[in-house]
Amino acid sequence: MRTSDYIEQAWTNLWKKKLRTFLTTGGVVIGIGALVCMFAFGQGVQRNIRDQFDEMDLLNYINVSPRHGRQPEPAEFDPDAPETYSDAVPTGEPNKPVTVLDDKFIDGLMQMEGVEAAFPEMRFPAQVGLGKEDRFTFIQVVTAKACRSGLIQLRAGQPYASDDPNEMMISDSLLRRLGNTKPETAVGQKVEIRTIILDFSLASLMRMAFARGDQRLPISDQRYTFTIVGVIERMGFGGPMPIRSDAYIPPGAAGRMRKLVLTGVSDLFQPAEQMAGHSTVTVRVASPSQVASVEAKLEERGLRTFALMDQLEEMQKGFIIVDMFLLAVGMIGVTVASLGIVNTMVMSILERYREIGVMKAVGATDGDVQRIFLFESGMIGLLGGAFGLALAWVVSFVINQVVNGFTAREGVPFIQYFSFPWWLCLGGIGFSVLVSLIAGIYPTRRAAHVDPVVALRHD
Amino acid sequence: MNGDGFIQVQDLTKVYSLGSVEVVALRNATLSVDRGQFVGVTGTSGSGKSTLMNLLGGLDTPSSGSIRVDGRRISDLSKAELALFRRHTVGMIFQSFNLVASYSALENVAFPLLFAGVAKKERARRAAELLNLVDLGARLNHRPTELSGGEQQRVAIARALANQPQILLADEPTGNLDSKTSQQIVRLLANLRAERGLTVVMISHEEALLREFADRMVYLQDGAVVSQEVVRDGP
Repeated sequence: MRTSDYIEQAWTNLWKKKLRTFLTTGGVVIGIGALVCMFAFGQGVQRNIRDQFDEMDLLNYINVSPRHGRQPEPAEFDPDAPETYSDAVPTGEPNKPVTVLDDKFIDGLMQMEGVEAAFPEMRFPAQVGLGKEDRFTFIQVVTAKACRSGLIQLRAGQPYASDDPNEMMISDSLLRRLGNTKPETAVGQKVEIRTIILDFSLASLMRMAFARGDQRLPISDQRYTFTIVGVIERMGFGGPMPIRSDAYIPPGAAGRMRKLVLTGVSDLFQPAEQMAGHSTVTVRVASPSQVASVEAKLEERGLRTFALMDQLEEMQKGFIIVDMFLLAVGMIGVTVASLGIVNTMVMSILERYREIGVMKAVGATDGDVQRIFLFESGMIGLLGGAFGLALAWVVSFVINQVVNGFTAREGVPFIQYFSFPWWLCLGGIGFSVLVSLIAGIYPTRRAAHVDPVVALRHD
Repeated sequence: MNGDGFIQVQDLTKVYSLGSVEVVALRNATLSVDRGQFVGVTGTSGSGKSTLMNLLGGLDTPSSGSIRVDGRRISDLSKAELALFRRHTVGMIFQSFNLVASYSALENVAFPLLFAGVAKKERARRAAELLNLVDLGARLNHRPTELSGGEQQRVAIARALANQPQILLADEPTGNLDSKTSQQIVRLLANLRAERGLTVVMISHEEALLREFADRMVYLQDGAVVSQEVVRDGP
């Protein structure tokens, strides 16, 4: 018997019993629709989280910090050099960073395959004054190279030429808050930066003794003058994760400043000129797929790394559990639908008992008979799967519209809560056919083993 | 009569188990049918006629004894081989016609061709040709319920001929028909035998009707062949 004949037979036989076919297929439609809908929701949540990470450019970054332990062999850092670090032979003082995260180290990082940019992660609070206005902000230290690597969107001027001068870039947002709405006019203007420092001088202690309120704290400020060389677009959560301040200065200038730095408590008690390198360096790689290889190379050097990509992978393991839960809930509907298929097929076989006898009398094999009924069962699954997918899409569309209708009032942008990747669509239909075929095995085996002599006498 | 023993039945026995009771439906039946012969099998109710027919048609398997068709021992065939035997070698006609009620006459006749893997258009062409042969060319698209008993049996005969079998087995084909229609049906079988060189084995309790067309008569009683008689010289 030809495959096309099986399909035609199945369709003809199902069409003869329209109501029963409609009801049975309806059960499958609801079961598969619910299953696909739940899976699509799970996928939508995952996709939204991933997209948000991607949009914020969070997955391309690695934070690098030194492990505190033994001093390695005094060798110049070469990222592609073979492993030289060894735990076995203590060669230096304890509690000293393995690798000093200094400018030479950063230059070495920039040569590493897959690394687009590397810059020290250092931010400190300061008061920025332009003309008569001044505002509190966080100043971020970014190397000139990192500024030129495309991480920063310039609106006027240019990045500072080197890592040394007292030059700065300022965000258009801070500039507005300082009273300047025309970025191009800000370039070349002088800005006063006031940093906070701990002050244990005798004068300070005397002032504390007779002061009130915040004057009782051992802090004072230091003033530095910088020239604006560039105005950049404000990048908060929407921009690259580590570039999220309103003011940027080069590391050379930052090194000469006395300040409270948030990245290390040791900075509170240590003059800047005595600090041996940076406590954290941020590395940007070309694509998230390169995070693991770059991390591995850095960890081989005895460095500690942290990347959100790793966290995302952990989250994805959690998503599998969520998917399994949704699958289990969705399977309830599919199981009920499959029982409906079993019932329909058993009824169909009982009704066509004599016809099965005729089939065998005119030369049908047991296999022919079984396949005729299996194709019917499979076709219920195919129709149920296709319409179930359509139902899932319609339901998800309605839910999306309703939920977004409510959230839009709060100013939340439109979010697609459901995702229908191609594999889910094909998988949903395929699963429906598979479940229907499994449900059809028992009744169709019964049909195949009908005794033709008995069946031909059957009324 | 050429005596070629196209169908040879030797010591054929069929025992049915009904719970703890065993019923012997056929007991050591032995007979031979030559190619192209029209053999009538008759006997009282419960004499084993239908059991013999089911065994000859490969619908059932014997408890002991053997059946050879054209030298091939069909009583030893597997289920799948028996299906192929039914498909290609025998055509069967039943008392209650056994047409598929939801199919048209054309679809009923084309039904066996479906399992033989014949293409759809060819199935329709051959089925129409066979329905014309049994004078039902004008009733192709009628369903069984729209046909008379005689017409239904002619559709069943056309279906039995679909795969061009060598043997036609008719189990009480006139049992549900009036005498005039019965005679027309048996005449049709006799004509088909003559035109197509078919070997026909027909079971009927109407001995007179059988004797009118059969070359040889076989008498069954209590599952045993009690006598055989040559009525006329066959082909």
